[in-house]
Amino acid sequence: MPSLRDIKRRIKSIQSTRKITRAMQMVSASKMRKAQSAVTNSRTYADLAWELINSVIPAMPGGRQAQVTSGFLQTFPEAEKIGIVLLTTNRGLVGSLNSNLAAKIKEIPNSEIISEIITYGKNARTIAGRLQKNVVADFPKMDRMISAVEIYPLARYISDIYQTGEYQKIFIVYNHFVSTLIQKSTIKQLLPFIGGRNLTRPSTTLSDIGEGRGEVIYNAIQNEYLFEPAPDRVINHLLPRIIESQIYQAILESDASEHSARMVMMKNATEAAGDLIFDLTLTYNQVRQNKITTELAEITAGRIALE
Amino acid sequence: MAKIKFRIATPERVVYESEVDSVTCPTEMGEVTILPKHIPLVANLKAGELKTIQNGQENYFSLSGGFLEVRTNNEIVILADSAEHAHEIDMARAEEARGRAKKLMAEEVRSEEEYAVTAAALERALARIRVARRRHKDVGRTAP
Repeated sequence: MPSLRDIKRRIKSIQSTRKITRAMQMVSASKMRKAQSAVTNSRTYADLAWELINSVIPAMPGGRQAQVTSGFLQTFPEAEKIGIVLLTTNRGLVGSLNSNLAAKIKEIPNSEIISEIITYGKNARTIAGRLQKNVVADFPKMDRMISAVEIYPLARYISDIYQTGEYQKIFIVYNHFVSTLIQKSTIKQLLPFIGGRNLTRPSTTLSDIGEGRGEVIYNAIQNEYLFEPAPDRVINHLLPRIIESQIYQAILESDASEHSARMVMMKNATEAAGDLIFDLTLTYNQVRQNKITTELAEITAGRIALE
Repeated sequence: MAKIKFRIATPERVVYESEVDSVTCPTEMGEVTILPKHIPLVANLKAGELKTIQNGQENYFSLSGGFLEVRTNNEIVILADSAEHAHEIDMARAEEARGRAKKLMAEEVRSEEEYAVTAAALERALARIRVARRRHKDVGRTAP
């Protein structure tokens, strides 16, 4: 039987832990609300831009084959490397978010060919180390909401390294925000550019990527577009924007996922602490009652002995 | 008359969403006004002011580049790099940005790229100032 004082000490310590987790839950909850509204607000732009590019590409003279002039549509099937942009959190206490991403990277086929990682967020470096991949660039993640302008350097870097022709494909790996309780680790092909699929719908398996070419053709028949100044000018302007918006969207998604996951984790911790306190208080009272009963019995026994 | 379903979206948010009678915006090829039943059109936008007319009432926005998409069913979508409604513009900040850009352009040794960047910044600042001024004028007109 633990002593009364021990139990009391444990209750106190759990209570103060609960205070901390509750505070963290509150903080995460407010960050989560902000991140979630940011993610839903920016989905409109991402969706609209996606719809636009899908109507523009088929309208190009000569269809898809003709626009090799745009660096983003060029493919390098001979290249040896695969680039991975890995978006993680800076801090822990987010459950399995980051380790899920590491597992996702392993799913990429031909992992025996050299793949290099561009990291965003502190945990990404650890993951890259664990997977024994080279980190070619590291972009610091801010702990506040970022604006679209702030990802330009990252977007620029990615398109620059792709256009050197050293990379066959560039993927982005992040957590897609589905709801407060559900985050899906997602892998998406950034470059070379493939049309079709809706941006904000996550393609969780690699076979999903590249689906939906049919949609493109459908749009082309439906809409006869007029271009000012010319389709290729529009497309050269639009493609970098699409890449940027895809990256920005992914960052917002992973932010929203992070805060949601942390909020849920902290909520669970607070509840678990509550349960533990309840149990311990029960034991405490039992022990106390036992002690009183024993004392009473002793006193009564003493009195009877005196009579 | 048919109305246009009009939306301005930036990467961060949807700036404006409404039904309007006409939209006037600055494209690379010059200013265009779109009325209902326009044929589908895609155009590059440059920094400048965008005007919508809704039941005779004018609304102004400042834009800094982007795309205009006119769809078949009387729908217009503006994908802007950034956009602000006239009443959101901070005049002091816009003036300051203009001053900064002007000063940078006045300095001599500039690469072509840097010059283009500052010129674009100046144009953005000017567009914002123009839109903000317009709002002040309108307020003056409606006052008794």
